[in-house]
Amino acid sequence: MIVSRRERWLGHALLILLMAVTVIPFISLFVTALHEPGTYPSGLEWPETPYWSNFVDAFQAADMWALLWSSVLIELGVVPAALLIATLAGFSLGHLRPPGHRWIFLTFVLGLTLPFQAIIVPLYYQMRDLQLLNTRWAIILPLLGLYMPFAVMWMRAHFVTMPPDLSEAARIDGANTWKLFTRVHVPLSRPALSSLGILMFLWTWNQFLLAVVLVDDPKNRTMAGALGAFQGQWGTDVPLLCAGSLLILTPTLLVFLAFQRQFVSALMQGALKG
Amino acid sequence: MSRTTGRSRNAAAATSLFLAGILALTACSAPGASTTDEPTADGDGAATASGDWTCGTDDVTLDAYLETGFPLSNALFEEFEKQYPNVSFDVREDQFAVITQNAPRVLADNPPDLMRLPQMSDLVDDGLLYNLDEAAAHFGWDEWPASQLAQMRVDDEGRRGDGPLYAMGKNYSMTGVFYNTELAAQIGMTEAPKTLAELDEWMQKAKDAGITPSTQFNGGATGGLAFPLQLLMASYGDVDAINDWTFQQPGARIDTESNIKAAEHLKKWIDAGYFADDINSLDYSQMMGRFIDGKSLFIFNGDWESGNLDTQMAGKAGFFLMPPLEEGGKVGAMSAPLTFGISSKAANPQCAAFFFDWIATNDEARTLAVEVGGSHPMGPADAFMPEVDPESVTGQTLAAGATIADDNGAMEFIANATGAIYAKSWTPNLQKLVAGDQTAEGLLQAVQADYESEING
Amino acid sequence: MNEMRTTGAPGRREVAAPASTSLEARRRALKARRLRRGWAALGLVVPAAFFYVIFVLRPLVLTVQYSFYDWNGVGASTFVGAENYTRLVEKPELLGSIVNALELIIYFSFVPVILGLLTAATIRKFAASRLALVSRTVLFLPQVIPLVAAGIMWTWLLATDGLVNELMRLVGLGSITRAWLGDTSTALGAVGVIGAWVALGLCLLLLLSGMTKIDPALYEAARIDGAGAVREFFAITLPSVRQEIGVCVTVTVIAALAAFDIVYISTQGGPANSTLVPGLEIYYLGFFSREVGQASALAVVFMVLVLAVVLPIQRLTKEED
Repeated sequence: MIVSRRERWLGHALLILLMAVTVIPFISLFVTALHEPGTYPSGLEWPETPYWSNFVDAFQAADMWALLWSSVLIELGVVPAALLIATLAGFSLGHLRPPGHRWIFLTFVLGLTLPFQAIIVPLYYQMRDLQLLNTRWAIILPLLGLYMPFAVMWMRAHFVTMPPDLSEAARIDGANTWKLFTRVHVPLSRPALSSLGILMFLWTWNQFLLAVVLVDDPKNRTMAGALGAFQGQWGTDVPLLCAGSLLILTPTLLVFLAFQRQFVSALMQGALKG
Repeated sequence: MSRTTGRSRNAAAATSLFLAGILALTACSAPGASTTDEPTADGDGAATASGDWTCGTDDVTLDAYLETGFPLSNALFEEFEKQYPNVSFDVREDQFAVITQNAPRVLADNPPDLMRLPQMSDLVDDGLLYNLDEAAAHFGWDEWPASQLAQMRVDDEGRRGDGPLYAMGKNYSMTGVFYNTELAAQIGMTEAPKTLAELDEWMQKAKDAGITPSTQFNGGATGGLAFPLQLLMASYGDVDAINDWTFQQPGARIDTESNIKAAEHLKKWIDAGYFADDINSLDYSQMMGRFIDGKSLFIFNGDWESGNLDTQMAGKAGFFLMPPLEEGGKVGAMSAPLTFGISSKAANPQCAAFFFDWIATNDEARTLAVEVGGSHPMGPADAFMPEVDPESVTGQTLAAGATIADDNGAMEFIANATGAIYAKSWTPNLQKLVAGDQTAEGLLQAVQADYESEING
Repeated sequence: MNEMRTTGAPGRREVAAPASTSLEARRRALKARRLRRGWAALGLVVPAAFFYVIFVLRPLVLTVQYSFYDWNGVGASTFVGAENYTRLVEKPELLGSIVNALELIIYFSFVPVILGLLTAATIRKFAASRLALVSRTVLFLPQVIPLVAAGIMWTWLLATDGLVNELMRLVGLGSITRAWLGDTSTALGAVGVIGAWVALGLCLLLLLSGMTKIDPALYEAARIDGAGAVREFFAITLPSVRQEIGVCVTVTVIAALAAFDIVYISTQGGPANSTLVPGLEIYYLGFFSREVGQASALAVVFMVLVLAVVLPIQRLTKEED
């Protein structure tokens, strides 16, 4: 393809501008985090003496290890279980197609556009009656339900594309449904599963509403919820708040940079299917 | 495929019936029916009348839920832990707006032993607060000046001022006008204004000199213009009428003639540009930051900042009460206890009550209340008082407290009239007043309407 | 894994053999197996359905139920009929929250989609270049971080002394600087900017990936016909990425209507309710002023609104398939 020099120049300039717009907020956060605690620095001004100690203070103030541990526990409670039950349902609805599969699927799809806020009030009272408020279960259990519309649809879409012959063959080889599932279909679903896993990992890590409403103690929250609490407590000290925000962002950013290709493709596929 | 559709339709019907069944089973009773359990029983205090109002000798951990940015509580906790080593505090902090939102839920579902309370009549109504009458009788709080505790009494109609005691103060605060003495000297203001007209003049002079007269916070969920507004109301009218409204006395209105004049005065200040352009985005701490940095001549605030200002702006800050219309007239101020309560479901209510008594009666604690908190401690009128430099901000606010007491000018904050009135009515309407989308009269009428719908609905 | 993949092909051949022997017996066996399998298969759906029913459908039904009651969440409740719904129309702040959410669509959706389209069209020809690859990572950053963090960052950037105003002063726009989030006339737009910032990268990359799939021959043919860049864009690029546009619009419209995190952090709905959105108002009503019934009525209307906006968009894209 012929690309004129002018077009190339313009395109590159545009891209660089967009990247700058994307990155500058992060830089601003970083620079502000280095200012003297309790001050209100303006703009992108580099501090005379950078207060690296803000990061240490914020780390201690936020009790970062406890927050990380809490988020990890929540992730462990949500992602594997959600993957498992969604795969089972997707396999059934997309591949085995039992009687009524269409209606069941439609019922799941019903929840696809449902904003969490719409059911947060009854969810709170439900969790209270279950005596699960302020525990991590209050985040884990509803998320398992709330992810199902997307997750089941995602896995069903994958299993629909599996040729039925494949299963017939395995059955004639003597495999029952369970063996067929674990030996044949799960291994073939790895790409679909890993993308879905990445998406649910991100959504859980960044889940804010459930954490804010259902769990008071930041040490039982997700990272995003903990960040909300950190803002509530330290919002009066901007440099410290910025340092804490950066610390809370760091784990996601590291995971993202390590698995960026998988993340990007998962997010794009996620959008396309959703 | 086509052969199975008939059967799948049946199955579909069966599935949807099954689902409908689950849902019907779970959702047929009216909400709340099963949850009106025992809290009111605890709230009567009968269940805990064992008579031992101490922290005992066993290890006790008091759960405390506090407001961010007020060092007094933690100072008191440290001192108490020193004097009673078996007691420790587990502290959680939030900004006041968040506490207001969380209060009913936290008190009911995660009950703290000590909690900074927002407006409390709803909380009492729902049986969420521990009744302190018995503690008051035991400790002799009834013998303190009655006005100290009046705001924390709630009767069974949900009106405050009378009835059982449901909360205690850490100290009681005093509000008025803080000013930067250096900026004041630049425009020739060497003493506090004696009339409202004088204050107007100084504001104008400051503006002419390129000094921002005030950076009163008014952003987010907390409209700080309620401070000057209520102080102006006291200058224009009668403090008791305002208190009647705040305490939900029948027939009380906020849109009275004198209050409208006060709101118009505030509007005049806004229109004259006496407030910074961006006050609708300023939160409380930003205001304090700017005032301490010398970017604002006046702020309307309370003596909980006195200790802070004495350290951060030593010798550069002063305080005066909102001046009256005419020299020598009566003055008023919001003066409220820094209210703390105990959940009706708290684990250690008696230890918490003992802590309340200790704050008001222990000399060390009273010293902290003045030096760190900047406000007058609760307790008997003749109790110990630490020495304070009369030139310091703390000294000035304590002296102002005496004036208010002489004039009977103490008011509860109008923002505490109902649970949601501050965030849902005062704040948005004050923000509209700044933006030019609301008139002075309209402001008060809108608040009155919301007040009525909240009390009756 | 490879082993498994190959079993499919020989298997197909084997199926044919027994089928010829006894058609009747085979059909009967198949029928029985299908029935058994049917029940087993339904069983596999049960775990997912369980969580979905208990934690989504049940609350959903309860929301509808609560919406007909007056309940403060603690005491007893009273049935009030449709009163909570009529109040939605009467109270300007409730109706206003819905209007605000609709207005946010402009910022959260239209801006990133249009900007994304223009940029993608400009850079599509070197989508494989080094810079474009780096940009894939960089532009995705806002998608990865919590929205709360985006809110905190931008609150700071949009403040009176923030970077945005500083830059404006630098280019001579000092006269219009303000506290963007604190001015009733600009706050909603400022919140919108935050949302647009978050969505732009995703839209751009989605559209770009759609454009790289377009057959280059189409463009060459257009060039030969003497089409300019503008006509090329409207005649070839735009129609080819209709599906991707549909996806971007759907995702961002839902994000706009359901906005919560960003608003909660940056403005709390203020000043003067100018950025109040239904999600936040439900939260306030439900947990703050504790009008559970009112919160639920708004939630019901909110759900219907989201469906009413999203379904037509879905229709439009499905037609393309």
